[in-house]
Amino acid sequence: MNPMKSAKKRSGSERMRSRSDTITTWAFLTPIFLILCITAFIPLLYSFYLSFHSFKINLPNAQPVFIGLDNFRMMLKDERFFTSCKNTVFFVVVSVAFEVVLGTILAMMLSSDTKATRLIVSLCLIPMIMAPVASGTLWRMMLDRSTGVINYFIALLGMEPIAFLADIKYAMGSIIFVDVWRQTPWVTILMASALKGISTSSIEAAVVDGATRLGVFFRVILPLLRPVMIIVLMIRIVDGFKVFDTVFVMTGGGPGMATEMLPNFIYNQGLKYFNTGYSSAMAFVFIFFMSLVSGGFIVLRNKVDRDMG
Amino acid sequence: MKKNYSFSISDTITNFLSRPVRYVSLGILLISVLFPLYWLAVSSVKVQLDYLKFPPVFIPTRVTGQNYADIFQKYGAWNGLVNTFVIAMVTAVICVFFGSMAAYAIAKGSLSRKLRNVFGLWFMIQKMYPAISTAIPVYVVMRHLGLMDTKAALIIMNVSFNLPLIVWLMIGFFQEVPKEIEQSGEIDGCNMWQRFILLAVPITKPGLIASAILTLVAAWNEFLFATILSVNRAKTLSVAIAGFISDRGLEWGPMAAMAVLLIIPPAIVVWMLQKNFVAGLAMGSVKE
Repeated sequence: MNPMKSAKKRSGSERMRSRSDTITTWAFLTPIFLILCITAFIPLLYSFYLSFHSFKINLPNAQPVFIGLDNFRMMLKDERFFTSCKNTVFFVVVSVAFEVVLGTILAMMLSSDTKATRLIVSLCLIPMIMAPVASGTLWRMMLDRSTGVINYFIALLGMEPIAFLADIKYAMGSIIFVDVWRQTPWVTILMASALKGISTSSIEAAVVDGATRLGVFFRVILPLLRPVMIIVLMIRIVDGFKVFDTVFVMTGGGPGMATEMLPNFIYNQGLKYFNTGYSSAMAFVFIFFMSLVSGGFIVLRNKVDRDMG
Repeated sequence: MKKNYSFSISDTITNFLSRPVRYVSLGILLISVLFPLYWLAVSSVKVQLDYLKFPPVFIPTRVTGQNYADIFQKYGAWNGLVNTFVIAMVTAVICVFFGSMAAYAIAKGSLSRKLRNVFGLWFMIQKMYPAISTAIPVYVVMRHLGLMDTKAALIIMNVSFNLPLIVWLMIGFFQEVPKEIEQSGEIDGCNMWQRFILLAVPITKPGLIASAILTLVAAWNEFLFATILSVNRAKTLSVAIAGFISDRGLEWGPMAAMAVLLIIPPAIVVWMLQKNFVAGLAMGSVKE
């Protein structure tokens, strides 16, 4: 159709219709703007406001008292804050690395469309849809030092029982393990659906040229999976920083500060010790940092999209 | 002919680490997924004495429903179940309804290209920011409004956290609706609301189902806000499970029973609508 022609033909009733479309468009958007403003932006602004105040919400009739940048100064001197930051970054890096590597390998292995692989994929959905609270308690039960079934297997191997969750050496590893157990299937499913989209001709060509299977994987498949892998990484990393439930039910941040993550630390400061101002200030620093991470990813993602044409 | 080719290719992919490694890996995968689930189920029906036995009781000879009776009678499982159900359902309905409307407006409405990109980016960012960052102000505000320990408060927060994902997801599905269908609707004199309800919604039904499941599961499993905003009346199952750890020492039996209760409903829904669920996951993250 010739656009010039259709533009000329535009009658009064059509203009009316486009006007009613504009109104409907905004009417469709209004409810979610309202919801998100009230439930997300206003709390964020309030959190920003509180971060310059001292406020003990557990005291009756407490009012926020302006203290300037004291909360932020306190943060810089607070070793526990830095420990929880370090823990969180360590947790995210190690767990996401395991999840993406294992998830990709499993996606490769499960990519044939047979009854058996379909069944395995369906079974793998269960850990993924399980509430983190449930998987946390389940593993807490299995990893228990005296009654846990895992320690029974360890005893069978002739080793001493391990206090997985109470020993500083193992606690972080256990939290990471549970996260990997829960999240790897998610990576597997996304990578498997990406594998289905790969054209078989480039693989055929490589096989005809005499490439080994590993060669095909590293030189043909992996480069083709790169865009999806970047998105998967981005979502897993961003989600990883939100870890809270698993730690809450498995160790509560202990032993000592060994598994204290930033969200748990913010929660404890704000709602256990009622240092509301301090906790808000940390929440704000956290958001700022996460915006940087997300922003970086969005840039990276756009670059990948452009590269792919 | 095609079958011949695809067989060898499928073999190159699935056995890229050789056949034995594949079988062993998938075996380990199966065990590591199934054994914990089996252990949880068995633990929920074991009798008290069997918990402390050494070696552990793998196949219980005595089975009891006492743990299940206990969670309903003593630990408020019924209350938790009702709350969790109501919160998840209402959240899903609100999210799918308003979310798909907004997504339709962004994908097909009369917005400028630039505005469209701004909104797309906005929902992507909103999807990413950590929930804990609004937890404290939300707690303070809800307390002021007298909404502490109400289902309404939890529904509001669950909607807030799931809407961006649903909008993001549905934009993708609506963008795939062919232009011709929209145009034919315009010619027939449908206004935008009619085009949305009569043309776009029926076509994107798989997307709507996927959105509904993702929201249901997320709201069903939600813990952070549930633990902050509920005390007793609005307590959800996830909070009830966590309660076993902090308040009552470790009672493995009832705890396992409660966990089974928490896992089964979303598992059934996802298994029944597996295709939609997986499509939703793939669409929500990989689409552009």
